Amino acid sequence: MKKLKSAAFFVFACSLVYALSTGTASAKLTSIANHDHITIDFFYHGSSVSVRGEADPGTDVIIKITDPEGHHVVNKKGKIGGMLWMNVGTLKFEKVPNFYAVYSTRKLEDILSQEEREKYVIGYPELEKHAEITPIANEEEKATWFNEFVKFKEDSHVYALSSGAISTTMQPDGRQTYYILTDWPYQAAPGKYQVAVYAVKNKKVVEQAESTVFVEQVGVVKALSSMAKNNAALYGFLSIGIALSAGFGVGLVFRKSGGSH
Amino acid sequence: MHLYLPVALTSINILIPVGLGLAVGLLSGLFGVGGGFLMTPLLIMCGIPSTIAAATDSNQIVAASTSGTYAHWRVGNVDFKMGLYLLGGGFVGGLLGVEGIKMLSAMGNAGFVIKITYVLMLGIVGTYMLIESIQSMRNRKTDETAMNKETRISTFLKSLPFQTRFEKSGVTHSVLVPLVLGCLVGILAAIMGVGGGFLMVPIMFYILRMPMHVIVGTSLFQILFTCIEVTFLQSYTNHTVDFTLAVLLLLGSTIGAQVGAVFGRKLKGEQLKILLALIVLVVTVKIIFELTLTPSLLISQAGGH
Repeated sequence: MKKLKSAAFFVFACSLVYALSTGTASAKLTSIANHDHITIDFFYHGSSVSVRGEADPGTDVIIKITDPEGHHVVNKKGKIGGMLWMNVGTLKFEKVPNFYAVYSTRKLEDILSQEEREKYVIGYPELEKHAEITPIANEEEKATWFNEFVKFKEDSHVYALSSGAISTTMQPDGRQTYYILTDWPYQAAPGKYQVAVYAVKNKKVVEQAESTVFVEQVGVVKALSSMAKNNAALYGFLSIGIALSAGFGVGLVFRKSGGSH
Repeated sequence: MHLYLPVALTSINILIPVGLGLAVGLLSGLFGVGGGFLMTPLLIMCGIPSTIAAATDSNQIVAASTSGTYAHWRVGNVDFKMGLYLLGGGFVGGLLGVEGIKMLSAMGNAGFVIKITYVLMLGIVGTYMLIESIQSMRNRKTDETAMNKETRISTFLKSLPFQTRFEKSGVTHSVLVPLVLGCLVGILAAIMGVGGGFLMVPIMFYILRMPMHVIVGTSLFQILFTCIEVTFLQSYTNHTVDFTLAVLLLLGSTIGAQVGAVFGRKLKGEQLKILLALIVLVVTVKIIFELTLTPSLLISQAGGH
């Protein structure tokens, strides 16, 4: 067991130095997600991801990291009888990702026009417009519940919006490079994440590049989580069995060691 | 040190679940309650999704209540016969309760009525227990009126058929009494999504007239079986049991339950009752706050029942 854990840790450590560049969409704009294969073992407590590349001088850079859009069912709380807070039903969110992080060199509104933001779904209001929420009565209600949804997601660190975190440097030869190092939250579920990099000029996206971050469970963590899903009856018996024997075991220990009064 | 939880998909400092387990296990061994009222919300506060918090807690209670039942059984404080009858009733009650939830949710605002009823019941039971046990501790004469009231209930109970002797508890009841009471608590527990220890313990004391120390052991015995069933159903149908988290919790709770059981033996029945009454009242106040204060998040993960 210990051996397995240290092996898993070794894999984890290796992936820290493991870097891979993926295909870029343009000749000028490049993007490399460093540490793009994150492995989850028992000692995983989040990681960090860096994205670097080259962008034309005079352009701003926006980086959007998302996982595939899907649908989410959440409980909504409301006041009943004017005084008590309770779950009052469910809301279905369609076409929203589970993970949504946008970083930019400057404030989004200052560097990109509204149409462009909507086109590329960059920013919360744009994601709201893109999303479908049911059941809601009107746009006002949609805005309210979308805001609550963002709060809920930000609370578990899977939604984030920040400007100024990307640093750009002018190289002596006239090229511009950008770099961001960001914390990768441990709350982000295993899966494939898309890193989209946009070079922006005159409030328009002029170039686009992409890479991916792959998050995967390994070793015992993977074995346990797949057993919970695919072998649920056995998993249930095992959980109960261990709990029963732990209870008896501790009882026996106490009988031997203490119990004198 | 942090550990990653494969089902909850989150990472937690291991001292938190071990410490929580210790504290809740102590309450469990002392009072014969599962402690889900405390554990589940605390786990949610630590970032565990609510459905996983509830299911994993029942897995942990299996260990804590085994440990506690064992400790109480060693000193002869578990009435297995009574426990089995209550369990039988509780099983039927659980099934009825699940059906009840379907019916009630079809009716709309029923959740509101149930919560209010539950808070009122807890409040009344807690207050009554507190007043009664303080009175009987101070002056045994003053509760003569209470005794009279209880004789009326006990005459009714005596008139029922199928009377049988419960040796361990030193009481005689119709088998219908624990069956029906177990059923009622089971219905409430299923609807409220709580274990029901808080209602079961006072019922065993005031209606079944069992001695306080036997109540704690018997209640734990009963909780053990209920939680085995819940753990299995949750892991089988909802995949919401995080075994890793349960192990961390039970490291603390199995020891806590032993300490609680030893500590409980040193207390008098009256003292136990007063403490339990205070905790029931604290829980009541907590639920009232939960219901009336504006929550920080208006959205939560859906799932569970």
